[in-house]
Amino acid sequence: MNERILATKGLTVTYPTVQGSFTAVNGVNLELNSGEIVGLIGESGSGKTSLALGLLALARYPGRVSGSIDFLGQELLTLPEEKLREIRGRSIGLITQKPRQSLNPFQNVGTQIGRVYRAHVDASKAQAQDHAIELLENVGINDPQRRIKAYPHELSGGMAQRALISMALSAQPQLLVADEPTSGLDVTIQAQFLDRMWQRAEETGTAVLLVTQDLGIVANYCDRVLVLENGKLVEDAPTREFFANPTDAYSKKVLSLAGERAQAETASQEAGSQTPLIRLEGLRKTFKLDDGKVLSAVSDVSLTVMQGRSLGLVGESGSGKTTVGRLILRLLEADEGDIWFRDTDLTAMSTREFREFRSKIQVVFQDPFDSLNPRWSVEKAISEPLDLHTKMSKAEKAQRVSELLDQVGLSADVRGSRPSGLSAGQQQRVCLARALSTEPDFLVLDEPTSALPPVARVEMIALLKDLRERLGLSFIFISHDLSTVRELCQDVAVMYLSQIVEMGPTSKVFAHPEHPYTRALLDSVLFHDPLDRRVDREHLGALEGEIPSPIDLPKGCYLAGRCPFAEDRCREEPQLLQITEPDHLVRCWKSVEGILSGASVVG
Amino acid sequence: MTIPQSPPVKGEHPLENLADKKIKARRWYHDKLLVTGAIIVGIALFLAAFGEAIAPYDPTVPVGPPSVPPSTTYWFGTDTSGLDVFSRVISAPRIDVTLAVSAAVLSGILGTFIGLMAGFYRGVFSGFIMRVSDVLQAFPVFILAMVLVALSGRNLTNLIFALTFLYTPIFIRLTRAEVLTQRERAYVEAARAAGNSDLKIAIKHVLPNSLTPSLIQLSVTVGFGILLTAGLSFVGAGVRPPNPEWGLMIANSAPQLVLGEWWTSLFPGIAVSLTVVGFAALSNAIERRVATS
Repeated sequence: MNERILATKGLTVTYPTVQGSFTAVNGVNLELNSGEIVGLIGESGSGKTSLALGLLALARYPGRVSGSIDFLGQELLTLPEEKLREIRGRSIGLITQKPRQSLNPFQNVGTQIGRVYRAHVDASKAQAQDHAIELLENVGINDPQRRIKAYPHELSGGMAQRALISMALSAQPQLLVADEPTSGLDVTIQAQFLDRMWQRAEETGTAVLLVTQDLGIVANYCDRVLVLENGKLVEDAPTREFFANPTDAYSKKVLSLAGERAQAETASQEAGSQTPLIRLEGLRKTFKLDDGKVLSAVSDVSLTVMQGRSLGLVGESGSGKTTVGRLILRLLEADEGDIWFRDTDLTAMSTREFREFRSKIQVVFQDPFDSLNPRWSVEKAISEPLDLHTKMSKAEKAQRVSELLDQVGLSADVRGSRPSGLSAGQQQRVCLARALSTEPDFLVLDEPTSALPPVARVEMIALLKDLRERLGLSFIFISHDLSTVRELCQDVAVMYLSQIVEMGPTSKVFAHPEHPYTRALLDSVLFHDPLDRRVDREHLGALEGEIPSPIDLPKGCYLAGRCPFAEDRCREEPQLLQITEPDHLVRCWKSVEGILSGASVVG
Repeated sequence: MTIPQSPPVKGEHPLENLADKKIKARRWYHDKLLVTGAIIVGIALFLAAFGEAIAPYDPTVPVGPPSVPPSTTYWFGTDTSGLDVFSRVISAPRIDVTLAVSAAVLSGILGTFIGLMAGFYRGVFSGFIMRVSDVLQAFPVFILAMVLVALSGRNLTNLIFALTFLYTPIFIRLTRAEVLTQRERAYVEAARAAGNSDLKIAIKHVLPNSLTPSLIQLSVTVGFGILLTAGLSFVGAGVRPPNPEWGLMIANSAPQLVLGEWWTSLFPGIAVSLTVVGFAALSNAIERRVATS
């Protein structure tokens, strides 16, 4: 089984630049064996992608690859181009980061998969088509007969990525190179995809090199870990050893940060008061599409955030959680329902009145670079709300900016910088400082950590936690990252397809998830523990397919189409959010009646 | 993007050197374009201000015998009326360049502002503005200019207004397109969440970030403006004689070409071409500079 597939000696990738040449990969020696999944991690810019492409003797123009690559006894770097082309695709498959851009928009999926197959195997068109159907079925795409006729724009990101993996696997390669294949996919889809890949590698003995930034993926799916730092391989260890005992500085840093998070307790329940600060009642928002159809982004959402507490709003993309945040901020106007801030109904205010009121409710968006005016300095950005809402003098404003910079952990010398001169983590701190400048009572945090690289993300979470305790902030934290919500929020509301399906204190919901969707979501979280791997567990509650489009919503339970526990009653009867315990609400009749069979529960 | 420094490995691979050379060549070319454009534009602006003052002869009165070929006394010769061609060529920017620059700046300001509003507040108003500018742009520029001048009367102010009217739609379209992409960016939403009114967002945030296309267009519009002014004068719809103006000079002396009197039309022709190329080059160089930075 453990046959050596590929070995490199002194693999180097250099790019000529105006200032001289830049070495992206520097003398890497590595081995990949059959049936093995090897994780390649490292900071962004450490040369991971260059190394991955380098293994196929490829480099982005004008780079060049040197050293030696021994693939099944053949030296790839001295091989003529025609021979190389035969090997690429047939013997070494490649999956890149952006699935939709990697597919040809003018050809349907079946044709594209078939072409790869026919390029390397002598087969007729019909045979190739059958092969494509079989492959799509293998990667878990429902109704493959219909899907092979689909063009790339008709597929979701997750499906496109799976079509790509079938393409990469179509000629049954001995080696598969996957460059961050799941970045940008939702957790449940990510889990589906990685499970498939793991299974395929097991069955066919394909060696897989998996480039990723996510330690959870490494811990759960990889047999061995490679760490790249500034183009040099600094660590090459079996996964368990790596997690138990990392040797180089980067790995230690990343793992210790991860370790701290794992030990962090669920946000304390005692904090905060029982005075409602923000109360949403029956919020509803629909969008009219160009073709006359109606998209329900939010239907009947009611929730309460208490003074001094934080609520996590979780769900996959398309669940409507961001829309809820924007409704609270009145960046969108609700079709129906009320938003109460203490005793004031925000929806009843005129636009002009509300503009004044905005100093009390502030926001931090997902993409920090995009949410800062590129032409404004940090100082100007942070003091803008002060200009609008206070009558501070210049000196007072400068003083306040210094205070805020200090609060969010930025040094005073970034004052004059433009956003483009800051790292993503710093940019997000500036956004946070701007949001805090008028001492708001309530914050909407719309995925503030998900666009940040791993280290910056952990630091941001620590900062938020610290600020919550020091300033007694109340906020709603919108996220698809469950482990962050567990750390930051006392309460959690889970959204699926425009509805809240489960709501309660974080400790309760995470320890005893009731709704099948919550269970599946928790089950998809990849913990950083190589001893408790997802692939070793049984997944009774795994969801099929992906989140449907919020147009033409089903009559009964919205999850019924994907739910493994669904019955006829689920499909017929609209589900209501019902109380199971005084502070725990669930939208599933089976769960409420206590007849939902015991799925795997993650604590 | 910062690229970490690593010891340079030179000349190992033909590709590497090729790429280096390519990059260098492109830079040099761009700088040359910028320098050439800037010099020509500089001269044009200088002559617009001081051309008449440094001209050796009065450009509007006969100063010598008619139809003298270029000589040391009359560098570019004299025309059929005995006017000094050189003095007239360097005095012409006073009219041509001033007119084109005023029209370009006016239409730039007007078009950018209308474009900002049309892009920011989408709706009936925006649609109406865009259809009107579509109609304006659908007409042949030259004909429309002639009609406008004919209707309003042949004088400098009217010429400027006619040109401004013609060039404004270009700026509307460019600015609106940029505003449409800028208004979708999160910083606009952040500004709204901070408590800015719509008008403040449009002017404080969106406008400064949407200026680049208009600024690039400005220089090339000056070039077009000069060409159009010369063209209008050539057909008799522009500047009145005996004002020194390139198009007019070419028009007056074109019949003399067959008699071998080439200098009276060649020099103003070169002047027009060079100036237009200069403004276009400057615009092009700025555009690439903005695109690569």
